[in-house]
Amino acid sequence: MATRKRTLLKVIILGDSGVGKTSLMNQFVNKKFSNQYKATIGADFLTKEVQVEDRLVTMQIWDTAGQERFQSLGVAFYRGADCCVLVYDVNLLKSFESLSNWRDEFLVQASPSDPENFPFMVLGNKVDIDGGNSRVVSEKRAKTWCASKGDIPYFETSAKDDLNVDVAFQCIAKNALKNETDEEIYLPDTIDFSSGSTHTSSSCSC
Amino acid sequence: MEKLAIKGSTPSSGIDQWKFGTKQTHRHEESNPSAYQTLRPTEQLKETINDEMASTSVGSFELVESKLSDVPLSVWGRARLPPLESEEWATFLDSEGRVVDSKALRKRIFYGGLGHHLRQEVWKFLLGYHQYDSTYVEREERRAHKLKEYRILKAQWQTISDEQAKRFAKFRERKSCVEKDVVRTDRVLPFYAGDDNPNVSILHDILVTYSFYNFDLGYCQGMNDFLSPILFVMQDESEAFWCFVALMEHLAPNFNQDQNGMHSQLLAVSKLVELLDSSLHKYLKQADCLNYFFCFRWILIQFKREFEYENVMRLWEVLWTYFITEHFHLYLCVAILKKYKKKIMEEKMDFDCLLKFINGLSGHINLEAALRDAESLCVLAGNTGALCIPAGTPPSLTANMM
Repeated sequence: MATRKRTLLKVIILGDSGVGKTSLMNQFVNKKFSNQYKATIGADFLTKEVQVEDRLVTMQIWDTAGQERFQSLGVAFYRGADCCVLVYDVNLLKSFESLSNWRDEFLVQASPSDPENFPFMVLGNKVDIDGGNSRVVSEKRAKTWCASKGDIPYFETSAKDDLNVDVAFQCIAKNALKNETDEEIYLPDTIDFSSGSTHTSSSCSC
Repeated sequence: MEKLAIKGSTPSSGIDQWKFGTKQTHRHEESNPSAYQTLRPTEQLKETINDEMASTSVGSFELVESKLSDVPLSVWGRARLPPLESEEWATFLDSEGRVVDSKALRKRIFYGGLGHHLRQEVWKFLLGYHQYDSTYVEREERRAHKLKEYRILKAQWQTISDEQAKRFAKFRERKSCVEKDVVRTDRVLPFYAGDDNPNVSILHDILVTYSFYNFDLGYCQGMNDFLSPILFVMQDESEAFWCFVALMEHLAPNFNQDQNGMHSQLLAVSKLVELLDSSLHKYLKQADCLNYFFCFRWILIQFKREFEYENVMRLWEVLWTYFITEHFHLYLCVAILKKYKKKIMEEKMDFDCLLKFINGLSGHINLEAALRDAESLCVLAGNTGALCIPAGTPPSLTANMM
């Protein structure tokens, strides 16, 4: 039976402290929200099986500390990543402005083989707050930035209300997988017709 | 006095193992031969350890060479004592309130901790906020004096107007970082629970004040974890602030921008494991885990996230006695890793699995047993262990604390 080298997708979530990295991860994996998560110290991860088209993959989602001075730890945690999710809080300009830094830092520390085409994703979180009245970063502005960085897919999410969380992570999985098969196609004995590489239909806008 | 136990085992693949037995009697009623744990000092340290271990504060030992298996020798940790309570505490003080024998006090606390109601008074000595030879009167004077000083420090940022804040990005950033963290600091504890809890505001004010007191270091995540039990114990804003300041005198390097304080401690743990458990070291080396980042949380906030609140306070007062070594927390890391060594190795954990496993130990570590194991390891390692820990490795203590 044909197998692929890896069915594990390593996803790193980065972004300023308090933008909701842990909450997004927990909402996606455990379908739970709490506003009492503690600030993440060091790093941790959760795993979840997802169906991407007709393939079952395990997503390993890494949640890291958001404070800048802990970035040097990234070397240990980022290696082997298949996708990097950059999160900001739509109500906090500073967290949006930090995205560039987080992206650059990731590329330096993870040093992926093809940085130009490494799959990123941007999530504008906390759109639920104050019915959207306190948001300071518009969707347009965020999308412009994403476009300028090589068309990074963008979603607006609320970990609290479970808005777009599944959709975003499905897209993350799909992109990470696409990247993986692009760089290492591994079809040992027989040709795997079920891998779905020719499928183009998707609910995902990216 | 009973002969303390030596645990036998089967022949091994040529690596000499060592076992320890008591050579002669010693005065340690608490010594408990049932508290086994395994130790495997590396071969080249045989002579050193033999010399070092001839006589220690825990008793006298004899190294017995033998061919043993992977299940090696056993040592024992002293049974822990009940916590220090008021009546006994009074015996450590003279009529004016001086601690007469601070070393004896620290030893007592190292082995048993403190009854909760004594923490408010005694932590101030352990942390170095109060001098052991100060009197009741002097301490009261200091309290009043330090309160004034605290108010001045706090006013420095409280008087920053909105207009000024608009032009002061660093202040806004720090304040917002503190605001984000205090609302997620131990909120399940009744002391910090509920909306508009005043204690959460106090946490905030102390941390922002600290970031002005130590502007170069600023606020860093994890400081909130340290402050929470201190405020809970002190029940007083100014006293909690100064105790926190005293703690940061030793532990600020944990939060340095360059993370050097953390790296030196992680390196020291790696060296200690190499010394005290060569097969675990070998395993972690081939699994490419020698950066020991899986111990990062343990060390950064001294196991704050690994135990129930009461046990965190117990552990910290034990650590802060700096009784056997100022780096007891590093031996505790080794003790816990050794405890789960079999599982780690049998399941062939890689870095990811190990990190997940270690994070998952939170709430499942038996503190008293781990303390005993750590003490045994520390005693066994002796000066050779101390040499694994480079000078300047946090906590950096002042002479009057040891």
